[in-house]
Amino acid sequence: MDDRLRETLSAMMDDQADELAVRRVLSHHDQQAVRDQWQRWQRIRDVMHEAPAGHAGLDVREAVSASLDQPAAGDSGHQSAGRRYAPWRWSAVAMIAVGVAIGFGAGSGWDVMSGSGPDTLVPVQAQVPAAAGVPEVTLQGLDPSQREQFSRYLLEHAQNNSMAAGQGAVGYARLTSMSGSGQGY
Amino acid sequence: MKVHTREAGHTAIIWMLLVVTMLATGMARATERETADAWLLKLGPALNMTTYRGIFVYSRGDQVSSMMIAHRYRDGSVEERLVQQDGAGGEILRRGNRVLCVLPEQGRIHLDQVIPSGPFGEAFASQQVPVGAWYQPQMLGEDRIAGYPAVVIGLEPRDDDRYGYRLWMEKHTGLLLKSHVRQDGEVLEHFQFTMLEITDELPDSEFEIRSGVEMKEVTPYLPVSGDAGEMDGWNLGWQPDGFMPVDAPRTSRGQAVAFSDGLATFSVFVEAAGGTEMPEGASRIGATTVYMHYVSPGAGSQDRFLVTVVGEIPPRTAMRVAQSVAVDDRNALARTLAD
Repeated sequence: MDDRLRETLSAMMDDQADELAVRRVLSHHDQQAVRDQWQRWQRIRDVMHEAPAGHAGLDVREAVSASLDQPAAGDSGHQSAGRRYAPWRWSAVAMIAVGVAIGFGAGSGWDVMSGSGPDTLVPVQAQVPAAAGVPEVTLQGLDPSQREQFSRYLLEHAQNNSMAAGQGAVGYARLTSMSGSGQGY
Repeated sequence: MKVHTREAGHTAIIWMLLVVTMLATGMARATERETADAWLLKLGPALNMTTYRGIFVYSRGDQVSSMMIAHRYRDGSVEERLVQQDGAGGEILRRGNRVLCVLPEQGRIHLDQVIPSGPFGEAFASQQVPVGAWYQPQMLGEDRIAGYPAVVIGLEPRDDDRYGYRLWMEKHTGLLLKSHVRQDGEVLEHFQFTMLEITDELPDSEFEIRSGVEMKEVTPYLPVSGDAGEMDGWNLGWQPDGFMPVDAPRTSRGQAVAFSDGLATFSVFVEAAGGTEMPEGASRIGATTVYMHYVSPGAGSQDRFLVTVVGEIPPRTAMRVAQSVAVDDRNALARTLAD
């Protein structure tokens, strides 16, 4: 299972889930997989709680996006954040409970999803969804040569930028964060 | 009549109090603004003229990286050494205008490609841009970062074409200890010293490259004055208010122009299509937006050019900039590409 996802889930359990993290899950390129996973959790939850299964057609992306997008009544303080993440928190709790009960690792379902192809959740890590009305290019959708060109633009911009903005070390950081050996750019 | 006069007197007093209160509030605001401005003026010089060493972390999106930095200001010149703490562990050593690099063994991008385009002395030329025209500066209070007391300055954008900033500056030197790039309360990019020692003197040993490693001297590209913002064969139909062309660096395969409003920057690249076919649209990595868009010189033209806008600006702004690029003289553009 992807460590970052585990972190996100654990954060969601603690009501600490960062909105960006949830949005990243929502912006995962394979929404069908996310939806399927969500429905699996829902079914397991329903079995555990002997509730009727009525979520087959639920679009998790829409539902959660709507809950994220609803105005946070002036201040988006901790309490209101807790309310807004409630559905997610609940499902994470349910999922982990089930994981423990059945005897495999929490969120192992995500392994199916993230292991289902060369594109895993990992490349999503650094990416934020674009604004509404702006066509979005997801990094994980790029092939290797596109990635190379993409990072070249980032690099050349960082080079232009590194000193111009008068932030010294910040400019360096922007440069070197792209030359690391890890995932992403 | 008397009563009436007394009432009038009361009203006058209330009005006077109101006016005094408003004046005082206004003055307090003006003073606060001046204080914030004064701190901002310290930002650039402090980055150069303070001697310090430490470790900072930088994150955008979920990415986190850290670097060790040693920075010395002596006899009017700057020496600086940066060592990546994660991944390949590259090093950058700067002595005045000379930049030396230790290349990491691995890593997709070599540091010799990532050298800033100008000397330190000119680095803060853009600080002359009146930041206050595009951002609302505000003193937010005091904090403590990496053991040092700091003042916190907020810079709220005055329009939707730029992000907000929050700067933590060391109280005595003005050194930038921490910064946020923000949008609607969300932190998109985060820079922060986690360990810091501000000192009067650092030993020479701090600025020596590890022995026995491959080293490369890089001559920084100095933009020729006068050609900043020059665009051959294409033009920008729109740019957000306050952004001025600051640099027209060489790029590997086309033309680029860098714009800055004093804090934020974006670069516009225009290249003949024909290499890798890129998807059109916006990608965001922390505070950085990349917007790619193909454009043709005219209807029916077979030529296509890839316009890429990269910068610390919102996606919608990057899109507007990219879509405003018009290629009007493909021959001129082709000539510069051939040079």
